[in-house]
Order: sequence, then C-alpha cells, then structure tokens
Amino acid sequence: MARHKKSAAQEEDEPALDISSLIDATFLLLIYFLVTTTIQKRETDLGMTLPASAPSETPPDIDPKFIRIDANGTISVGAGSSQIPMDSDPDSRTLPLLTEDLKSYASAAKMADTKALVQLYVDGGASQQRVIDVLNALASVDITNVTFTDLVDP
Amino acid sequence: MASSKLRNSSSSGEDDLKVDMSPMIDMVFLLLLFFLVNATIIVVKQDAKVNPPVALNSIVAKDGNGRIVVNVYGEGEFTNEKSENLADEDAITALVKEQKEKNDLVGYVSKLHLRGDRDAVFKHSRKVIKAAAKGGVDQVIFAVYATDK
Repeated sequence: MARHKKSAAQEEDEPALDISSLIDATFLLLIYFLVTTTIQKRETDLGMTLPASAPSETPPDIDPKFIRIDANGTISVGAGSSQIPMDSDPDSRTLPLLTEDLKSYASAAKMADTKALVQLYVDGGASQQRVIDVLNALASVDITNVTFTDLVDP
Repeated sequence: MASSKLRNSSSSGEDDLKVDMSPMIDMVFLLLLFFLVNATIIVVKQDAKVNPPVALNSIVAKDGNGRIVVNVYGEGEFTNEKSENLADEDAITALVKEQKEKNDLVGYVSKLHLRGDRDAVFKHSRKVIKAAAKGGVDQVIFAVYATDK
C-alpha cells in the first residue's frame, strides 16, 4: 500500500513538456500565411527581334510581308492597291485568316531558302492587345523577324 | 532527495520522458508543402497597375538575366521596374544605356522587357521601343499572359 502511494507521487513529479501551445502557434502562423498570401498570375514572354528599330539606310534583300493594323483593330495584308483585308473583329484573340496567310508565306520563304520578314505598320491608336494578337499569330508560324515601320501607305 | 527520485524514475523504463513530436512534424510538413506549391521563380517585378495582353503562343520565361523593364500604363505613363516615373523617351534611353552597361559588365545580353497595358495605345510602346533602340537594345520581350483566366 505504501509502495503504491510512492509510485503515484513519482508520476506526478515527472517533468513533462507541453507542446500543445507550440502547435497552436504554428497553426496560427499557417492560417496567417494562407490568408495573407495572394497568388500572382504568371506572366510569359513573347519575344521579337526588331532589326529596324534603329533607323537603317539599307533596305532588306527579300520582299517583306506587309501587315497593317488600323486604329479600330482591322488587320490587312499587303500595301497600296494590293491590300487585302483580313480579320476585323477586335474582340477576337485568334486571327484565322491572317494565320493562314502567314503560314503560306512562311512555307514559301522556307522553300526559297530565305528568312521570313514581316513589316508591321501599326496605327498609333491601335491597342496594345491588337498588336500582341498579330505578334502571337507570327509566333505561331515561327516568324521572329519583325520590323515596326512608321511608313504611311503609298 | 531529488537525485534519488530521478534515479528511481530513470531506473523504471515506463517512466521515461517522451515528447510526442508527430503533430509538430505534421504542421511543418504542411507549411513546407504550402510554400512549395505557391513558389514561382520571380523573373521581373510585376507592377500591378499594368494588365498585360493575352497571347496563347507565348513561352514561359527561363531567366530574368539582362532584362530592362519598362512599364507602360494605360494612360501612356512610363515607369521602370521599381515603379519610378520615366518622364520621356530621353529618360528611357538613359535607363537603357545605364542598364546595358551593367549587363555588358557581367556578360548578359540586354533585352527590353516591355510591360504594356492591354488597353494602352501602341504609340506609347513604339516610343519605348525606339528609345531602347537608341540606347543600343534591339531585342524586345513583350510581357503577356498565356491565358485570359
């Protein structure tokens, strides 16, 4: 009987580390980070080499494709009297007509063993999104040589 | 007295001190998973005032080396990566020249990272491209979103 009393007293005296408060604090931290974290949308790249960004005196040695983007978002191909209107819906992100035309131009350039070159005439009032739509169509057919020109239609 | 108690407790195997670490490990593991899932490589500082356009054929950036960031807001204002105002084309050219010198020293190819707002008119972006070309940088990267969602 006396021995039993002794062992009970021993159990009460045992040092114990209470880690429940630590877990509480960790959980609070987790909730804090979960609530305060904002997930940022990831941006991607649409790269272009602009050979004629700087003023140049020498004209390109191959016939470039001429693409015009109007202020209202209408896209046309060719210059002067041979200008052909293409996609005109500024809310549409895909440009099926232009993409088809560019595909044939890119394959023709490949067959002729020349590098496809595109000249873009962009109206100053065209939206950034519309220009990116055209660059996106160019990227889909692997054309990376693009010139932005300020030339007005002859 | 205390030493005899300790001796007694250590002699009996059942009375050993044990700290249950499993819940703490669970929590730390949860935290680790949370940060792993959320982590993305920061290529450039993204100014929240710019809402880039969408291009499906864009590619994920591999690194941010040599990028000279210029933000073009919807109203046509220009800022650098730290969102400091760039007054005009000359300020952009000066920035490009300064950054290009730094990049050349460490051997990086300088590229203009143009973060234009989708609603901005293109004449502003053209100004930036021309100013960068004046500063000797002809590679342009347009910052876009791969999807609209």
